[in-house]
Amino acid sequence: MNFLIIFIVTAILQLFAPWWTVALIPFLIMLWRPLTPLHAFVTGFLAIALLWFFYGLYLHTSTTGAMSNRIAEIFSLPNGILLLVVTTIVGGIIGGLSGLSGYFLRKTVQ
Amino acid sequence: MKFFKAVLTVILTIGLVYALNRPWGPVPALGPFLSPFTGFWQNGEKIYEPNEEIVLKLDSLREEVIIRFDDIGVPHIFAKNDFDLFYAQGYLTAKDRLWQMDIQTRAASGRLSEILGPATLEMDKNSRRLGMAYGAEVNIKIALSDPKSREALLGYSAGVNAFISQLSPKDYPVEYKLLGYKPELWKPINTMYMLEQMTLTLAGRSNDLNMSNVLKKYGNEVIKDLFPDYPMLQESPIIPVGTAWDFKPLPIPDDKHSESKDSVLLNEFSKPEMKPEGIGSNNWAISAEKSITGYPILANDPHLELTLPSIWYQVQLHSPDVNVYGVSLPGIPSVIIGFNQNVAWGVTNVDADVYDRYKITFKDTSQSSYWYDNQWKPARKREELIYIKGKAEPYREQVTYTHHGPVTKYNDELTGSVYLATKWIGHEPGNSFLTFYELNKAKDYDDYRNALAKYVGPAQNFVFADNGKNIAMTVNGKLPLKRKDQGKFLLDGSSPDDDWKGWIPADQNPFVKNPTRGFVSSANQSSTDPSYPYYINWIFAPAERGIRINERLEKMNSANADSLRILQNDNYNVLARTILPKLLSILETTPLNSTYKAAQQVLTEWNYQNSPEKIAPSIFEEWLPALRNAVWNDEFDSSEAPLAFPSRDRLLYMILKQPDAKWFDNVKTPKKETLADITISSFKAAVDTLNARHGAMSPSWQWSEVKDTEIRHLSRSLKPFNAPHLKLGGGTGIVNAITKRNGPSWRMVVELGPTPKAYGIFPGGQSGNPGSPYYLNLLEKWEKGELNELVYLSSPDQQNKRLTSRVILKKK
Repeated sequence: MNFLIIFIVTAILQLFAPWWTVALIPFLIMLWRPLTPLHAFVTGFLAIALLWFFYGLYLHTSTTGAMSNRIAEIFSLPNGILLLVVTTIVGGIIGGLSGLSGYFLRKTVQ
Repeated sequence: MKFFKAVLTVILTIGLVYALNRPWGPVPALGPFLSPFTGFWQNGEKIYEPNEEIVLKLDSLREEVIIRFDDIGVPHIFAKNDFDLFYAQGYLTAKDRLWQMDIQTRAASGRLSEILGPATLEMDKNSRRLGMAYGAEVNIKIALSDPKSREALLGYSAGVNAFISQLSPKDYPVEYKLLGYKPELWKPINTMYMLEQMTLTLAGRSNDLNMSNVLKKYGNEVIKDLFPDYPMLQESPIIPVGTAWDFKPLPIPDDKHSESKDSVLLNEFSKPEMKPEGIGSNNWAISAEKSITGYPILANDPHLELTLPSIWYQVQLHSPDVNVYGVSLPGIPSVIIGFNQNVAWGVTNVDADVYDRYKITFKDTSQSSYWYDNQWKPARKREELIYIKGKAEPYREQVTYTHHGPVTKYNDELTGSVYLATKWIGHEPGNSFLTFYELNKAKDYDDYRNALAKYVGPAQNFVFADNGKNIAMTVNGKLPLKRKDQGKFLLDGSSPDDDWKGWIPADQNPFVKNPTRGFVSSANQSSTDPSYPYYINWIFAPAERGIRINERLEKMNSANADSLRILQNDNYNVLARTILPKLLSILETTPLNSTYKAAQQVLTEWNYQNSPEKIAPSIFEEWLPALRNAVWNDEFDSSEAPLAFPSRDRLLYMILKQPDAKWFDNVKTPKKETLADITISSFKAAVDTLNARHGAMSPSWQWSEVKDTEIRHLSRSLKPFNAPHLKLGGGTGIVNAITKRNGPSWRMVVELGPTPKAYGIFPGGQSGNPGSPYYLNLLEKWEKGELNELVYLSSPDQQNKRLTSRVILKKK
């Protein structure tokens, strides 16, 4: 459930709000509905990672990687898919850490 | 413990977000850059859908504008007035080329450091010291005081800004995201910067100092011998020999300086200032008699440094009083090279002597007055502020202006401090934009001549053809009235004799209309033969391209557009035809080992075609520069001060007609070398170089591989945005003038007639976005030497199977 809330709310906010909302939403959701530290990290990680992965994949394939393959080359990566993996992991770590922060902060006031 | 964990994770998260939200050295802020919602992922584009219709509501538009895109991405704009027409041109150009417009304007105005940091400070200083901004400011006042250019500039700016205003950060071109800055609003003066930049590229340097160094070192006799004012061996001038100068010339200023009294030795410049060969162009038109259509056919291919985004942007502009198609320069309203219902025109560079250096003597270090006409004359100051990324305080410099122009100080070990003022056509007030504006609407020859009279610079050879079956060529620009060779050397800033003495009247600029030979042509060679009464320059581009074009056009009959396209792609090497038989005959006098023998064999069997797959041009193009260096380096390659080298024509003349000239001897060796000695040694050196670079003779010696033409992204550093490897022939002095970095930036052929039929191509595509399907979609055809038929519409609702989407701009 938390996964879905983070995924959907972040997806909507990302359309107009700055990129760092991906570090805000998992934090707020875990502050609001904490379960376990592992759950907080994994849910935050997966929600943001998958959100970035699927949207990135859609943009990559619908333009046959014209831009992503070139940017990958600038970063010395072999292709855009690998860059998508990097993007996914970066997004995931931010989401995971943010979720975890929310969880621990909630625990200090309980 | 709970508290500790909370603080730790919160700090970690905030730290990570902070680190990802800021750039690190050349790495952009990775958070926004990687996010698929804001980052580079957003910059992939799709093709225009057929039958798609988009309506955009925009500010400050006056009436509705309809835009049809064709299958290669060219917009065809239908507007009801000038303002809206240029508004739409600005809007669409920005849509496809915003970053290019930004970076080129910054380069011209000396504002690169604002976004790129201290690395570009020297470039910015040079732009400011040359007075690019000064020139642009002078010109924008004039442009905004004329109702036509005012309307065009304001419309264009409004259109560009309408596009910029509706961008959110995720929509910024990818270069902004990589460099981490924002587009700023477009100003009318930016168009003037673009024109200044063109003037700089095409007429922004001279060899005055290097020539003065030669004069100082070797004296007048050597100058007369090695640096003549007209080619000695061969030339085929732009205005055909025998054309009557049908006017009474103004008195030519007195030649009080038969011996240049002042000269310097300056070693400030680490390399010669001469323009690299390959920045030039071809254009020509054949008469109705020579063409199979019964109407003239016109061709043009401007050669520039080939870069991506493409230099040119194709557009059709239609309003009640104009219907023109051609290429524009991003940042400049109107079409620069193109055609309409009645006429077609094109340009090549004249290379007039319009950039002179004057030696200035200041009263004191404050530079507040300088010696002129036997008294101290006050100088003006202009403060230049250059903002630098990462620095709080801007760099400040007071640039001193004399009546000649801005002054730069050079420190020289030999002469101490030297102050040089630059008198440059780029500072001359005028409204060159009007020339293109009027050519866009021109109906006949008279309109063409009237439009040209308004042009200042950079001087161009304007080729013209019309439906009235006229063809014409005008060596056109505001050309200073000078004494002969004034500006061949450094000039004396204190002497009124050395000032420019006014201008050659526009109607006395060299021109030819409907010559009996049935064609007009130009390829940057000498404008005229020496009978023309005025001085334009003492040296022009080498003659070979012009010679070849004129030979081919002479023989051409019943020609069509394809005949001219084939000539644009002509790889014949006139230079090799001229000199290679002589060099090979020398080579035959000496025994050679098998490696050299094989290379000699290849050259002997060569048909003088610089085709991509041939090996002979690789050897020849390595050999001739090696020979040139062997002849001149011992006398002219000086570490203490750069010296001009004698021209290619002069070298050929010496080899063919003066085989015993003393210059063949290498003065740095005790032995006395002959022409034969250095011909053989330079041949061996050339073959050795190829061996060292490409291994033993094999397909890796093919001309396209050795030349290795590359088309780089404007950033020069983002290699993945460059064009892929290309297989291309041609070369320096070849009609198909593709060198390593320079070449035909646009090829166009127009068949005049009741309905014009036109063809064109450029290396790249309409879009400047590397993630767009229109970034490189024209490259393959360009590489093959093919042309696209250009879609020329007469109404927005015309049926044409190559049309795709329709965009309607409406007033908000």
